[in-house]
Amino acid sequence: MAAKKLRRAQLSQELCERLSRCQITTCQDFLCLSLLELMKVTGQSYYEVQKLLCKVSRACAPKMQTAYEMKLRKSVSPSSAFLSTTLHSLDGVLHGGVPCGSLTEITSPPGCGKTQFCIMLSVLATLPVSMGGLDGAVIYIDTESAFSAERLIEIAGNRFPSYFDSDEKVFCMTRSIHLYRELTCCSVLKRIMSLEEEIISKKVKLIIIDSVASVVRKEFDTKLQGNLAERSNFLTRGASVLKYLAEEFSIPV
Amino acid sequence: MQREVGSLPLAPSLRARLAAAGFQTAQELLETGPCGLSKEIGISKEEALEALQVVRQECHGGAARTAGGSGTARKFTALELLEEEQAQGFIITFCSALDNVLGGGVQLTKITEVCGAPGVGKTQLCMQLAVDVQIPECFGGVAGEAVFIDTEGSFMVDRVVDIAAACVQHCQLIAEAQQEEDHLKALETFSLESILSHIYYFRCLDYTELLAQVYLLPEFLSEHSKVRLVVIDGIAFPFRHDFEDLSLRTRLLNGLAQQLIIVANDHKAAVVLTNQMTTRIGQSQSTLVPALGESWGHAATVRLIFHWDNSQRLATLYKSPSQREATIPYHITPHGFRDVQPPAVTQNAGGTEVNPRKRPRREEEKQ
Repeated sequence: MAAKKLRRAQLSQELCERLSRCQITTCQDFLCLSLLELMKVTGQSYYEVQKLLCKVSRACAPKMQTAYEMKLRKSVSPSSAFLSTTLHSLDGVLHGGVPCGSLTEITSPPGCGKTQFCIMLSVLATLPVSMGGLDGAVIYIDTESAFSAERLIEIAGNRFPSYFDSDEKVFCMTRSIHLYRELTCCSVLKRIMSLEEEIISKKVKLIIIDSVASVVRKEFDTKLQGNLAERSNFLTRGASVLKYLAEEFSIPV
Repeated sequence: MQREVGSLPLAPSLRARLAAAGFQTAQELLETGPCGLSKEIGISKEEALEALQVVRQECHGGAARTAGGSGTARKFTALELLEEEQAQGFIITFCSALDNVLGGGVQLTKITEVCGAPGVGKTQLCMQLAVDVQIPECFGGVAGEAVFIDTEGSFMVDRVVDIAAACVQHCQLIAEAQQEEDHLKALETFSLESILSHIYYFRCLDYTELLAQVYLLPEFLSEHSKVRLVVIDGIAFPFRHDFEDLSLRTRLLNGLAQQLIIVANDHKAAVVLTNQMTTRIGQSQSTLVPALGESWGHAATVRLIFHWDNSQRLATLYKSPSQREATIPYHITPHGFRDVQPPAVTQNAGGTEVNPRKRPRREEEKQ
């Protein structure tokens, strides 16, 4: 939305050309300038510039919805609001399970079972809706090389023996879990940015990143001066893209 | 009338031409007339007419202002302000200790900033306030609507439903206890659906959308004149990443603060912002301070800091022009934002009230 070109914000052609001569091509550039700078650049009067500002703002402002509309939309499809973890007490505490449409973070000391939990969630997500799953593909971004396919099949076989009775069902399930091994912060970020198209094409219903901390701690030593800012930069950028993906596609991350 | 041509809000090229032609004051411009003006400086008659209209608007706006009209330059005596402040409403938070510390609740026409570590209850307070602003006047509220601008995506509709249901129940208990006409009439319109439909929700994904939305706020508020609360949940989030140019960030934040102050004053609305905490690494220790830097600290009138003490949540009034600094504990219950102990049921004293809208609340006993 921010990178929307001014041309599409219904400004006149010559105004856009004039602005692009000063390197202002997107809504973001336009809104970052103060009123006086805008007057100088566009050559228009104060009131005209205010009207232009409103026009550009309207082009990239978010749409309004009342809380009531949101509630109605949610109550229309209640089953798709959570991914049940099949651990009853955990589901009770989480009010239904891992929520769709927002980020959930799992932290613990090493060896407690985070990766095991993630593997189990991947199995659950591929199950059909009637069994409490999401009937979709899973994207698993692994930074520690801790994912084991054999363990995946073991969990599936032992947990749902009645469902995974044939080899074909097992293959179907494993085919829908897409594993990406990323070992640096840069590649993790690039992978996250490229997820949008994959989610649509592969009908992904769950994104797991295991784990964020390991790759960040490897690369950013907090004792060095500039690294703290860079590290939080990387983290917040990744987080905002993931939040956008979670909300846009209503999937748990 | 003796205003200099260079200070009029005309286009820069036009101003340059006027200066070159020797015009010095606005009076001269008005005397010349559009045809003369167009001939002298070589612009079309329509442009000249437009320019003269701008000049006339500016000068007459100035005259009206000095006559005490409702222009942008306001002049009040302190007595008028005192009367206005006493008659002003507060938005209660349902936590009486916090309301006492704030002097009655979140004040209208002021910017209140709530800072805290993640998970301490900032968004909960915002959702509580978005419901509380709609409480009808006979129950002690301001009967307004709410605008919720969300940058972090932490707005949960189900939670707002819980909070609103608890609020409606609370008002119903009061109405049953006091059995007055206007209470029952107000309860008819104060229902779950009406509360939810009067919370206007905007989801901004980055700082450009946030800026755009704040520019459009005055127009939105003129259309929806009953809005009394603007919440921006997460003003720090979009500004904390992807900003190499810190001076641009400071400039944008200051512009944002000014816009919000104008919105708060013109539309008599309370503005509530939530901020994150950041670590300031000092000589030998590191402290948690509100994010976005020192200059942002001047933007808010009232500053609340939420923090943990072992497992108890505390709220500290850090900056306020009229109240003393204080720290109080609070709780987040399934019903929303509440006190720690159930407050005692107080008997209402007679009718020695300054403001008939602010009827004292009768707290219900915790089940």
